[in-house]
Amino acid sequence: MSVESIIGAWVATGLTLFIFSFLYRDNPLFKLAEHLYVGVSVGYTIVKTYDTVLVHLIWKPIVEQHEWSLLIPVLIGTLMLARYVPQAAWLSRYAFAFIVGVGAGLAIPRTISSFILKQVEDTVRPLVALVPGEGVVLTWDLLNPASGVNTIIILLGVSSVLFYFFFSVEHRGPGKVVARTGIFFLMIAFGAAFGYTVMARMSLLIGRLTDLIGYADEAYGRPTLWLTVLTVSMLLLLSRRLKSEPPQEG
Amino acid sequence: MRIAERMLKIDRRIIFLIIGLCTLVPLLYPVGLPIKISPEVRAVYDYIESLPEGSVFLLSLDFDPSSKPELYPQAVALLHHAFRKNLRVVAMTLWVSGTGLADQIISQVARETGKEDTKDYVFLGWSPGGTAVIINMGQNLYTTFPSDYHGRPTKGLPVLEGVNSLRDVDYAVSLGAGNPGVEAWYVFGKDKYKFEMGGGCTGVMAPGLYPLLRSGQINGLIGGLRGAAEYESLIGRKGQAIAGMDAQSATHMAIIVLVMLCNLFYFVLRRQQQAS
Amino acid sequence: MIVLRRQLPLVITLIAGLTMAGQYYVPHPASEELLTSVTKWLQIIGGFALVLGVSSLFHQHAVKIRRREAGWGYSLVLYAGMVGTIVAGLWADGKESLDGVLTAFGWVYNYMMVPLQGTMFAILAFFIASAAYRSFRARSREAAVLLVAAVIVMMGRVPLGEYVLPVSGDISQWILNVLNASVRRAILIGVSLGAVALSLKIIFGVERSYLGGGKE
Repeated sequence: MSVESIIGAWVATGLTLFIFSFLYRDNPLFKLAEHLYVGVSVGYTIVKTYDTVLVHLIWKPIVEQHEWSLLIPVLIGTLMLARYVPQAAWLSRYAFAFIVGVGAGLAIPRTISSFILKQVEDTVRPLVALVPGEGVVLTWDLLNPASGVNTIIILLGVSSVLFYFFFSVEHRGPGKVVARTGIFFLMIAFGAAFGYTVMARMSLLIGRLTDLIGYADEAYGRPTLWLTVLTVSMLLLLSRRLKSEPPQEG
Repeated sequence: MRIAERMLKIDRRIIFLIIGLCTLVPLLYPVGLPIKISPEVRAVYDYIESLPEGSVFLLSLDFDPSSKPELYPQAVALLHHAFRKNLRVVAMTLWVSGTGLADQIISQVARETGKEDTKDYVFLGWSPGGTAVIINMGQNLYTTFPSDYHGRPTKGLPVLEGVNSLRDVDYAVSLGAGNPGVEAWYVFGKDKYKFEMGGGCTGVMAPGLYPLLRSGQINGLIGGLRGAAEYESLIGRKGQAIAGMDAQSATHMAIIVLVMLCNLFYFVLRRQQQAS
Repeated sequence: MIVLRRQLPLVITLIAGLTMAGQYYVPHPASEELLTSVTKWLQIIGGFALVLGVSSLFHQHAVKIRRREAGWGYSLVLYAGMVGTIVAGLWADGKESLDGVLTAFGWVYNYMMVPLQGTMFAILAFFIASAAYRSFRARSREAAVLLVAAVIVMMGRVPLGEYVLPVSGDISQWILNVLNASVRRAILIGVSLGAVALSLKIIFGVERSYLGGGKE
C-alpha cells in the first residue's frame, strides 16, 4: 500500500465523518468540511476550464493551427466578463443576446420534434390490432406496455393530466371528472417518483458506507475506527460547549 | 402526552440511527438475494451483445461524485461488457466535475481487461457547452475534441478509424445524473444524427425517462443501483451494485415500516382526538 | 446610445434565434457548416460562462474575509482549498493521472472532492427517511393513492420486496411503464410547449430579462 493511498484514506474518512457529523447537529467540523468542499470543487473547475478551454480549445488551435475564426467566441466570451466593469457592463448584453438567441433557436425545432411530435405520435397508437384469422383484436396483457389496454390507459392518463393543467377552462361537470382522473394519475406517478428517490438516496449512503468499511482495513491503519472515535469525542466536547442551544427538530 | 403523539414526535436522530444500521449491517453480513432482470436493462445488454466486433460504442459518463454509487457500477459493467465484445470504446463526459471519475473508471476497466489506450479505447475528456458539444460531435467529432484527455490529437487515432461524427457511432449510452444527460443526447444527438442509443441514470431521474423508453427514443434504460445490479448479473460479474442490493432491500423495508408506523400512530391519535 | 445598449442586443437575439431555428430545416452544406462553427463557438463561450459563475463566489468570500465577518475563518478554508487545488492542478497539467499514476491533482480529487461531494448528498438518505416518517400520511384519498404507489414501487425495486411479495415486481413495473409513463409524457409535452413558447418570446424580444444588469 503506497503512502499516498494511506494518507488519502485517512483524509477521505475524516472528511466523510465530518460531513456525517451534521446528522447530530450543525457544528464547526461540518462547516469546515463544507467550505473545503466548495473550495476544492471551484479550484477543480478552474483548472479543468483552464486546461480544456484556454489551452486545448483556444491557444493551441489559434496559435499552432492559425484558426483565426476562433477569436470570435473569445471576443464574445470576453464581452461576458465586461459585466464586472460598471461602465462597460452593457457590453455584456451582446454576448448574452447571442448565447440566448442561439440557444433558443437551437432548442425550438429539436424540442418540437423530440418531445412534442414523437411523444404525441406514441400516445395515439392503434388501440386494436388486425390478426390474420382472428380479426380485430384488443390485447389485454397488462404486463406488455404495448398492449391495447395499456395503450388506452396511457391515452387516458396523458389526456386527463394535460386537461388538469389546462386552467383556461373551469373544471366543472364532466371536466371535473377528467381533472380528478388526472389527479389520481399524478398521485401514482408521484408515488413512483418517491419510491425511486428513496432508492437513489439510499444508494448514495450505501456508497459512502462501503468506502468507510473499506477504509476500516488494517492495511490503511483502520482510519474509520480511529477517526469515528475522534469525531464523536469532538462532537461531545462541542455539544458541552453549545449546551444552551437545543438540537434542531425536523 | 399520548403515546401515539410522542411516537410521532420522536427525535429524528433515532430514525437516522435505524437507517444507518439498516445500511451498515447488510453491507457487513450480505445475504445475496437473487435479482430479477427487467426488460429495459436486458434491452441495453442485448443490443451490445448483438453488435459485431469492432463496432463503435460511445459511452458518455455524464455524472459527478454525487451520484457515483449509482452510476459508477453501471459504467464499470457496461465497459466490461463492451471490452468483452471487443467493441471500440469512445468515452467522454459532459460534466466537468466528473472528469476524474470517468478517467479512473475507463483506465481501471481497460487495465483489468488488457485493453490498449488509443487502439481499443479512447477517453476524450470533458468539454464545456453541454448540448452544443453533442451537436458539434454530430457535425464533426474532431472539431469538438481536437485532442483526447491526455492531449494527443484525436485525428489519426486507430480507435477512431472511420469515425467522423456521431453518425458513425453504432451504439451510444449516456449515463446521466441530470442535465446534460440522456434527454440531451436524444434531443441534440440521436434525433438528427440517427444512431441507436440507450440510457443509464440515477434513481431520481429514472421515472422521467420512461416516456422516451416507451416511444422507442431510447432502446433501453438502466435505472439506479438496481439497474446496475441487474447489468452486473447479466454479464455475470459481481460488483459494487450487487453488493449493495441487500442494504438497499433493508433500507427500503425500514422506510416502509416507518411509513406504516407513522400512519398507524396518526390514525390512533386522530381517533383519540375525535373521541375526546 | 439606447439603440446600442437596448435595441441592438434584441436584434442580435432575433437574428441568431431565427437563423439557428431555420438551420434545422435547411440541410445545405453551408447551413451545416454554420451549425458546426456556431456550436464550436458555444463550447468556448461555455468556458467563459464557468469563469463568470465562480467569480461571484470569490468576491463574496473575499469580502467576508476583509471585513472579518462571522465565519470568516471558514472562508479562509474555502480559499485555501481552492488555491491548493489550483496549484496542484497546474502542476499536473490539469490531469488526474499521468501514465496510470495518480497526480497530486488526482489525489485531491480522489480523496477530497469525491468523498466530500458524495457524503454531502448521502446525508439526504437520512433526511428523506425522517421526512417520510413525519409527513407521509394518508390524510386524504389522493394521499393514500400516492402512499400505496410509493410502497409498491419501493417493494418491487428491491430483491427482498419481491421475495416477500412476489407480485410487487410486476405491479411496480406496470406502474412505471404505463401509469407513470403517461403522466411523465403529459408533463413532458406541457413543459416542452412552454419552453418553445418562452424561446419564441425571447427571440421576438417579448421576454428580455436575460439582458439584465448594467446601466442603460
